[in-house]
Amino acid sequence: MSNPVLALLGRGLAAGGAAGLAAGLFSLLAAEPLMDRAIRDEEARSAHSHEGAAAVQHHEELFSRSTQHAGLVVTGIIAGLALGVLFAIAYALVHRRTPQAAPWRRALVFSAAAFLAVSLLPGLRYPANPPGVGDSGTVSDRQELWLASIVIGVLGMLLAWQVSVRLAERPAPVRHTAVALTVIAVLGAMFALPGNPDDVPVDATLLWNFRVLSLASHAVLWGVFGAVFGALGLRAATVAGAFATAVGNRSAGRNGWAQHHDVG
Amino acid sequence: MSLHSAPTTDTTAVTSAATSTRDWLIASAAAIVALIALYAVFMDHGTVIAATGNYLHEFAHDGRHLFGAPCH
Repeated sequence: MSNPVLALLGRGLAAGGAAGLAAGLFSLLAAEPLMDRAIRDEEARSAHSHEGAAAVQHHEELFSRSTQHAGLVVTGIIAGLALGVLFAIAYALVHRRTPQAAPWRRALVFSAAAFLAVSLLPGLRYPANPPGVGDSGTVSDRQELWLASIVIGVLGMLLAWQVSVRLAERPAPVRHTAVALTVIAVLGAMFALPGNPDDVPVDATLLWNFRVLSLASHAVLWGVFGAVFGALGLRAATVAGAFATAVGNRSAGRNGWAQHHDVG
Repeated sequence: MSLHSAPTTDTTAVTSAATSTRDWLIASAAAIVALIALYAVFMDHGTVIAATGNYLHEFAHDGRHLFGAPCH
């Protein structure tokens, strides 16, 4: 068996493409009506405040809204493929000792961790805003803060995992308390970042629904990702004739997260 | 056996170090391409990837908003 990183990369690309497509289609159906309404509201607002000819449209209208709808799905697929590559490499590094073991459960655990680190926590710190919100003067500051929250999320996840691994010999209450304290410290760091400076002059119900749908799209992305990545891993393990591994995983799987590091 | 215990000898020992290095180089290149793609889709405003002007940003506009990337 050669270095498995290329096989994992292929799995990551396949899972990422499928997950990006699923998230793109989900958001196309669920969230686009909200975004279209937000843009109409914004145009109505700016028509009020800048009278007549000075009324700014949302954008320079480089693309029609329907092209931007298609752009949403394409964006989802590209993001899915790129995240799939990074996911596969991280997976190969973290599980480099036993790259073939427990493919299904590890894929689900890993994508749940990715959802937390790059989607949910940054999304709670800097919630998504619908079109019409966002001052172009602050966009580079907001990009830096958003990136910082993702970096803190990923590093925090690695830190919590390492704390758990290094305390593997200690009793569970000690280990769990240490992990909880780590998580609290990471959350503290993330929420110590400056807040989003922009006003949000949007209807509260629309805003809430948009943010819920944004997180739901992330959840669809990582859910589909984990399932496809895990299923492809299981198939590869079966094809390789690693029945013993698969059986071992199934019994180890019942022991859950606490036993995660002992498997294989 | 925990993750930081000594790795057991298995068939991977047969793998030549050169193949492994080559595979990791390919993986690194893929990671760089992935990061550039994510930058283009979620961050670029035509300043770094100049040839695209604002087209990339406007095309990815809805995706940026929906996935929570800061937008104007």
